[in-house]
Amino acid sequence: MIFWEVFKMSAMALNANRLRGFLTLLGVIIGVTSVITIISALEGLSQSIRSELEALGPSTFIVTKFGIIRSEEEFLKAIKRRPLKYEHMEAIEEGCDLCQKVAVASHYRVETKHGTEKLRRVLVEGASAGIIDIVDTEVDQGRYFAAEEEHSRSRVAFIGYNIREELYPGVDPIGKWIKLNNIKYRIIGVAKEKGSTFDDNSDRFVSIPYTTFVKDFAYRNMGLSIYVKAASVEVLPEAMDQARAILRAYRHVPYDKDDDFGIVTADAIMAVINDITKVIRFGLIGISSIALVVGGIIIMNIMMVSVTERTREIGIRKSVGARQRDILLQFLYESLMLSLGGGIIGIAIGVFLGDILIGLIEMDMSPSAFAITIGLIISTGTGLFFGIYPAMKAARLQPVKALGYE
Amino acid sequence: MVLIDTKELWKTFEMGTVQVHALQGITLGIEKGEYVAIMGPSGSGKSTLMNLIGCLDTPTSGQYYLNDKQVSTLTDDELAYIRNKEIGFVFQTFNLLPRATALHNVELPLVYSGKNKVQREQMAKKALDQVDLADRMTHRPNELSGGQRQRVAIARALVNEPSLILADEPTGNLDSKTSLEIMDLLDRLHQTGNTIIVVTHDHEVAQFADRVYHIRDGMIEREEIIDKTGTTTSETRQ
Repeated sequence: MIFWEVFKMSAMALNANRLRGFLTLLGVIIGVTSVITIISALEGLSQSIRSELEALGPSTFIVTKFGIIRSEEEFLKAIKRRPLKYEHMEAIEEGCDLCQKVAVASHYRVETKHGTEKLRRVLVEGASAGIIDIVDTEVDQGRYFAAEEEHSRSRVAFIGYNIREELYPGVDPIGKWIKLNNIKYRIIGVAKEKGSTFDDNSDRFVSIPYTTFVKDFAYRNMGLSIYVKAASVEVLPEAMDQARAILRAYRHVPYDKDDDFGIVTADAIMAVINDITKVIRFGLIGISSIALVVGGIIIMNIMMVSVTERTREIGIRKSVGARQRDILLQFLYESLMLSLGGGIIGIAIGVFLGDILIGLIEMDMSPSAFAITIGLIISTGTGLFFGIYPAMKAARLQPVKALGYE
Repeated sequence: MVLIDTKELWKTFEMGTVQVHALQGITLGIEKGEYVAIMGPSGSGKSTLMNLIGCLDTPTSGQYYLNDKQVSTLTDDELAYIRNKEIGFVFQTFNLLPRATALHNVELPLVYSGKNKVQREQMAKKALDQVDLADRMTHRPNELSGGQRQRVAIARALVNEPSLILADEPTGNLDSKTSLEIMDLLDRLHQTGNTIIVVTHDHEVAQFADRVYHIRDGMIEREEIIDKTGTTTSETRQ
């Protein structure tokens, strides 16, 4: 009961000094705003990366020459590896009974042309027809190429959304020709817009059958990646083990040597990205916490002034029977209300700014309960930490000295 | 029945390297229902004595029994409890909370004794009624005259039905007419059974009491019994 009464006193005192209270809030507002904005933005970022990776289903893995590279040393080792070849895919297809679907894809960048329009460094993907069942690619118009077209090495192309927008504005591209390094391909389908966090190129691609790709670009002798879909999510680890054993045997890797290829899953990529953003997250939050510390010091300073100004009031309260903890609570409530008020305003602005920021770089944003919780915790913590000293100073005032204070 | 009993109260302040003995062995006794004045010139130690009797401070040595309870060794919070339950203060400068209404000021001791809102309002209204301020409850101190402010302070002192009302120069900031009103009010409260101690340097104020302790240099110089019929007897100690 008395807590509520003391709380009301604190509220009254703050209400009497509204402008000062508001100015005191600013520091905490800025601190919490920056922490929340950063957390929201980072959450949104990893959210959109995750949704991109979802295209690669949870039961899918990719065998590549490099795998996931974490250091320069690993890169220098990996670059000496022999490339993966079509026959490796065939070996997995034949030997891995837990692998439901296997496909290959190889990539190269070329110049594309249609009429006088020209695009440089467009990603050409030579892929098995079956890859459409492994990597989730939505068709906007027309169709993906079929197994027959792969067998007959047809010059057909499935193009990315941006290619249509840039080369065929206002025209139906189906049945039209597209030139890749001056070789003509007939367009049979267009992909839906994917959108990307990192580059605009995920919608600037041309997909052609792998066999056609080998025929037209084979002089490059490029390696390829093997896309595998396991029979189910549950057997994914065993399927990966099987594929690995097959490849090691096929490529004659001695038993005491490491794999000379890498295996990538959506989870593994996410783990690496999380590792990277963790560092960024703590770094940025650390920097913005400085504003929070400043905000806390402002509160502490104002509370010290308030205690001095209200020394006589403290004396009066003590003379009529206020105990140390009544006074302590009264001043602690005040600093808590200040910092929590600042925290709530900061969260509101932060979530709002996070939204804008994410709108600017075109990402999905989920209103983050995590960010809001963090905001509330740090502002409460700031209020308590910086409020306790002035409150203790007030509580410990001697009644005689406090009453005699002018 | 003895309300206040002090034995050899000493209070020593350290002023830098110098020790100042504000009180040098005060021994006095006050009965329940008495009206006592403590008189002395400034610097005599009467305010220090008031602070000790009011449990705002503790003596350097000696004993102080309030209601047969030794209070000179209590902790801060125990003293706060005593101030809340047993003592009502009236100060020279009124010491009201400037932003609170008269009613709220009077309620303040009840807040700290944990009374609920209904009880608080009821008791505070009754106390304001006793000082004839029932019609000024919602006024803030700056909307009241000096005499009215002091009456609010007296209502606050009364509200928790303390054993003792302790008034420190209650008329020090008031004109003589208002002073008389306040002294009449204290007198009336005395008639209804309250124990009152007034600390003052003003001889006329002291005349309202039954008994006067004259303090000088931290010691009781003499004790005077006021005979309301006009004659006074005086006893000099030491």
